[in-house]
Amino acid sequence: MSKTAASSFSRLDETDIQGFVLRGYTFPVARYLFLEITDADKAQRLIGSLIDQITTGEHWDQGKPDSTLNIAFTYKGLTKLDLPDATLLSFPVEFFQGMKARAGILCDTGKNASEHWDPIWHEERAHVWLGVYAQSFEILLSRCATLQQAIDSSGGARVIGAQDAGAIVFNGKPSSKEHFGYTDGFGNPDFLGVDRDTQPGQGKLMPDGTWAPLATGELLLGYADEAGELPVAPVPHILANNGTFMVYRKLHQNVKTFRDYLEEKSKIYPGGKEKLAAKFIGRWRDGTPIELSPDRDDHNLARDKQRNVAFTYGGDLDGKRCPVGAHIRRTNPRDAFGFNGGLINRRRITRRGLPYGTYVPEGEPVTDDAEHGIIFMALNASLFRQFEFVQQQWIEYGNDAHQGNDKDMLIGNHGGRGRYMIQGTDDALNPPFMCGGLPNFVELRGGDYFFVPSITALRLIAAGAVDPR
Amino acid sequence: MANQSGSVYGLTVLSPVLDDPEAEVSHNVAIRKYLSTLPRDESSPFSKVSSTHMARLVVMEDVVFVGHPAHEEHLKSQYLVFESNFDGDLDTYLTRMAQEIPDAVESVWSHCVGYPGLKNVRAFVAYIKRCQLTTTFYFADVNNKTVQQTLRALQIQSGLARFIELNQGKPPSEIQSAFAEFWNSVETASPLAPGAKGVGELPCFAAGRAAGSEGGD
Amino acid sequence: MMTNINGKAYAMTAITPMKPWKTWIVRAFFFILGHIKPLQKDLVNLSFIHFARWVIIPRHRFPNLENQPKEDLRYDYMLFFSNFNGTWNQYIDAFSAVLSRGLNLIWIWSEKFPGSVPVTPFKQYIARCQFDTDYYYTAYPYATTNDVKAAHRVEDAVTAFAAESKNLPPDEFMRGYQRLLVAVQADLGETGEPPVGT
Repeated sequence: MSKTAASSFSRLDETDIQGFVLRGYTFPVARYLFLEITDADKAQRLIGSLIDQITTGEHWDQGKPDSTLNIAFTYKGLTKLDLPDATLLSFPVEFFQGMKARAGILCDTGKNASEHWDPIWHEERAHVWLGVYAQSFEILLSRCATLQQAIDSSGGARVIGAQDAGAIVFNGKPSSKEHFGYTDGFGNPDFLGVDRDTQPGQGKLMPDGTWAPLATGELLLGYADEAGELPVAPVPHILANNGTFMVYRKLHQNVKTFRDYLEEKSKIYPGGKEKLAAKFIGRWRDGTPIELSPDRDDHNLARDKQRNVAFTYGGDLDGKRCPVGAHIRRTNPRDAFGFNGGLINRRRITRRGLPYGTYVPEGEPVTDDAEHGIIFMALNASLFRQFEFVQQQWIEYGNDAHQGNDKDMLIGNHGGRGRYMIQGTDDALNPPFMCGGLPNFVELRGGDYFFVPSITALRLIAAGAVDPR
Repeated sequence: MANQSGSVYGLTVLSPVLDDPEAEVSHNVAIRKYLSTLPRDESSPFSKVSSTHMARLVVMEDVVFVGHPAHEEHLKSQYLVFESNFDGDLDTYLTRMAQEIPDAVESVWSHCVGYPGLKNVRAFVAYIKRCQLTTTFYFADVNNKTVQQTLRALQIQSGLARFIELNQGKPPSEIQSAFAEFWNSVETASPLAPGAKGVGELPCFAAGRAAGSEGGD
Repeated sequence: MMTNINGKAYAMTAITPMKPWKTWIVRAFFFILGHIKPLQKDLVNLSFIHFARWVIIPRHRFPNLENQPKEDLRYDYMLFFSNFNGTWNQYIDAFSAVLSRGLNLIWIWSEKFPGSVPVTPFKQYIARCQFDTDYYYTAYPYATTNDVKAAHRVEDAVTAFAAESKNLPPDEFMRGYQRLLVAVQADLGETGEPPVGT
């Protein structure tokens, strides 16, 4: 495990940045509270009272805390906090509109349309997101109870919804598994100046084949991005600096449909069920990348941080090891589009989500309808250029991958008609194989876009002191 | 030849627009009005002149002032810009325009200076050539296939993908007879209309039949 | 902006002014580009342009007919036409990210061109120099240039297979069919409506 070299870059002020932006917390349980603001002044005082509890990017040299607290706001929430109009108008248009209004771009239509979302997203009342992570469920309950009291007695806001999430317990331990059985959590990018354990393969590909951290401005506002300029940010810059934008999407998983589909297709796929499952996304279910190990999973490789994210597709442009439309290849094409990955570097996102709901082990009866899925959370400096682009162009469309209109097999909004082609060879165990009649394995149940301010920005907001000049 | 790339011709025409202060509707507005009503799909006049891959019309009112220290200047005339990418030679193309889509040509170019009408096709061809600009550099990603060849290829691609999906896992003899039916459908399919959205469905897939066999995989 | 788009194709038209003495440099560059295929390689590899062209209009050579007043200009003009796939932002982002040197060689001679990196001033310049299209037609609105190239490959492969496999016994037919699948397996993406948007 190597730490990022700071070299000529001046270090980030980690105490000013909310902690989960810089590092995933790896706590086993979480609760996301959604607040409606009812009174601007009182809400400002509530925020002021919470600032010292907000978990920053400071290192936990004295050991992990019992629980963490972070906060983010929708555009509506910022208007409710009486930020000046000139500041509000300077936010990017997609944030102003909110995720629901962006449905056309995101293909949140049909089964993913907002009429199917959880009720709290129907009217624009989710103004504030409070993220609480804890070492245990008891600690979580206790922390949330204290918060609830503070919120209730403030008179400035009320809790309108809560979403629990937590690592799936697998073989007695919290794991990185999700409900379809895949091991998740690979592939978060590496940024200049962000001090965390990094792995080769996370950053951007250099012409000599090594990996370098991405520009800080791909994650944080106020820093140069990969195009050598500052990402679009609200004014004044003191409000924007060290902040970022968060996408929150509750993705319901149709576990029964997925397992049935896999089972049915496995009957005629000569490579077998696990290989087919691996071909869907680009990793075996234990996390082994099929690009490196196309014929079998490999637990050592899956756990080896020096290798499990370090690969390219340049030697597999035909998709014979990792299919051209596989999920991880669509969301991070690396060098698959040529130009040494130059077209990719401004399209990376940082994921922080967790599964929700009870895991049903393979072989046991499972339904589609139970409350289970993934809380998808992504952080990026530009919603439009990063998350929205990947969602619109690489997940719900396939032209860049030379797959025409074909959507991402796993999370695409197929509507029952989708197709996914697995490229193969003349090896009988690795044949060309078409997966047709794709249903929606995943359905969107709500979410929105949030602004994650720095600690400095929070103080300004709490004091009602934002000056747009 | 700078206007040509492989078998595709790149035509660039700037036709000065009539300037008539007495006109009730100025000519550039009239052109725009007409163009806004013109269909852009298989009912487009350019679908009839079926060698057209892509074409556009732009009323260029003036040049652009990019800002100090560049100097501001203005055109004395407005120009109708016509850019077309088509198969075959220029004379044939312009002759087809005159003969096959006279209404559209008239509705657009009658607003332009020096337009001779369509009674004499050669005069029309000569007129357009007077307004033609030589392309300095022309790039065509695919420059060796006609419009008809392209549409047919798209139809075959769509059909084959469907065929593969419907016949996966079937016994060899079934796939073989289904393929024969599929290929017969391809060979006897009527040509597609240029400009249409999508490539339609081959007859062998009609009525839920999987090119000869029942059900899917 | 609706008329700039027809299906998956976007029509970009832009004009930039150039001091006349600089025009010959651009012509020389294009001459070289036209004769050295590897320089065009990047354009081909980006693979989202159907057709594109540059047209230099010397200041005295605007078409002039009948009684039309003669243009009296100090600049030559360069017209640029592109028929490309993807959104406006995606297109310019891609060029700025990987083809900036080539772009600069073409446009640095135009007045006030800010360079193709960083991308925001470049986008502002293009927006200023871009004309909206009044009418746009494409013969295959639901196909990108990737789709078209894939379709031609598929047609070639399946036509050859249809001929070779005509009277084969089923086993041999299947072997040929499997080879056909391997040949076309990356070219079977469905064509259809483009993603929404700008």
